[in-house]
Amino acid sequence: MRGRLNSTALALIPLAIAINIAGGQLIKTLRLPIYLDSIGTVLTGVLLGPWIGLITGLLSNTIWTLSGLDAYALTFAPVAGVIGLIAGFASRFGAFRAGSPRALSAAIGAIFLFALSLFVVTFVNATPNPDGSLAFPVAADLFANTTNVIIFIVALIAGAALGYFVIRDAGYAGVAGLITGLVAAIVSAPIAAYVFGGVTGSGTDVLVAAFQASGANILASAFAQGTVSDPFDKLTSFMVVWLIVQSLPNRLLQRFPGTQPKVV
Amino acid sequence: MLSIYTIGTSSLHRLHPLTKLTGALLLILATYLTNWPLVPVLVFAILLIIARIAGVAQRLTGTVLRLILPVTFSLFLIQGILFPPIGATPLPLGPITLTYEGLLFAYLIAARLLVLSTTILLVLFTTHPSDLVFALTERGLPRSVGYILLVSLQIVPDMTARATAILDVQRSRGLATDGALGRVRAIIPLIGPLVVGALVDVEERAMAIESRAYTASGPKTSLRVLADSIAQHRARTVMLLGIAALIIWRIATAIEIRIV
Repeated sequence: MRGRLNSTALALIPLAIAINIAGGQLIKTLRLPIYLDSIGTVLTGVLLGPWIGLITGLLSNTIWTLSGLDAYALTFAPVAGVIGLIAGFASRFGAFRAGSPRALSAAIGAIFLFALSLFVVTFVNATPNPDGSLAFPVAADLFANTTNVIIFIVALIAGAALGYFVIRDAGYAGVAGLITGLVAAIVSAPIAAYVFGGVTGSGTDVLVAAFQASGANILASAFAQGTVSDPFDKLTSFMVVWLIVQSLPNRLLQRFPGTQPKVV
Repeated sequence: MLSIYTIGTSSLHRLHPLTKLTGALLLILATYLTNWPLVPVLVFAILLIIARIAGVAQRLTGTVLRLILPVTFSLFLIQGILFPPIGATPLPLGPITLTYEGLLFAYLIAARLLVLSTTILLVLFTTHPSDLVFALTERGLPRSVGYILLVSLQIVPDMTARATAILDVQRSRGLATDGALGRVRAIIPLIGPLVVGALVDVEERAMAIESRAYTASGPKTSLRVLADSIAQHRARTVMLLGIAALIIWRIATAIEIRIV
């Protein structure tokens, strides 16, 4: 971002923030277990680049607090900023321009759900040391257990189905969304642990409790909870933006530099 | 404009926004950087007295309670009762076993959150957003950031109305918003028009910004004037010194603990 924001950015960022809020409320009427309150942030990152995406995320959470809708949102501003930033870089690499083969999407879904189930199983089978740290089981032990192997196989099949039938040709945007979810979990865990003691007073607290039951400390449980729930929320946000960008006429897209092929 | 500002003429309303912000920062840091359990209670009591003077005490306590109760419940249940820290002193109480450390941790986090939310909401209840943002841009916040914040607050109600209209329109066309699959499928027909409508607006808004020479360089004048006083200026300096002292004290004690 060279110097000051131009008028297109100045016009789009407030609209994107309003989309975050109004879109989030709209999704609430559907009673889905996802928030989708960062669609505007992802959109600006995709259309105007990573730095504008970062600014949109930071200011969006400032608005949540400033408007009195959510007094605590400001503490999670870095998370929102990172989402816009990654969306912008993903768009620079062409994730929102091209479609991917469906086989690739299936592979992505399978690998992701497998990694997630491995993560959860490792956590659940971890044993706490007397000093409070966690002793994680060896991979060979995990694969020796029949229940675990069944879980892994189910995860692989479900992941492949998710990739093939849901992500379809949005594979590149999907990967970007999943990575964003992981990074969001890393950034938000320390905030959740130190400011809120790991809980937020919402449904995801059940997950935090479940991970703490396996002996993890508050920071690890907050991170594990984020790793399980964030990628799906961000995957959905990225795919919604991907679908919308695909359906936009070129006349409209030309105004935004982020989605245009680089002219060398 | 989307705001929880309550019109009033109290002395708190009339203070310069920066005075209120500095005070809020000092109180929040005082509760987060010290470990004495009584500090949050004292700060909360001070805040309640100030709120009573400003005439927003009732609305403030109502809003804060709605915000803090679910978090407090989770905190005491999960951190206080179910999973106390390792090596905690048990306090048997009938069928359940409480621990001193677990309860203290849950109390400290909850009390700090109480102060955090009360302070933020008290400032927002008694400061008009335009005044707050204008005061910050006067002290070096980029003008474009101030513009984005204020415009966002203004267009959120419009956008929410548009979102409701989209929901009604799509339902009248037979969009199913029930059943698990139906609800997932409804995301795109609902969010799509919202985004496309906003993108169509971008060009018009950008032209409006340009035609008013917003991006031109050079000095700008403002219609808005904020009242400030020497006393408030001195108060801010004292509070900033207090903030600096708190941070230095905290760093110093942290180093000492590590050495010991």
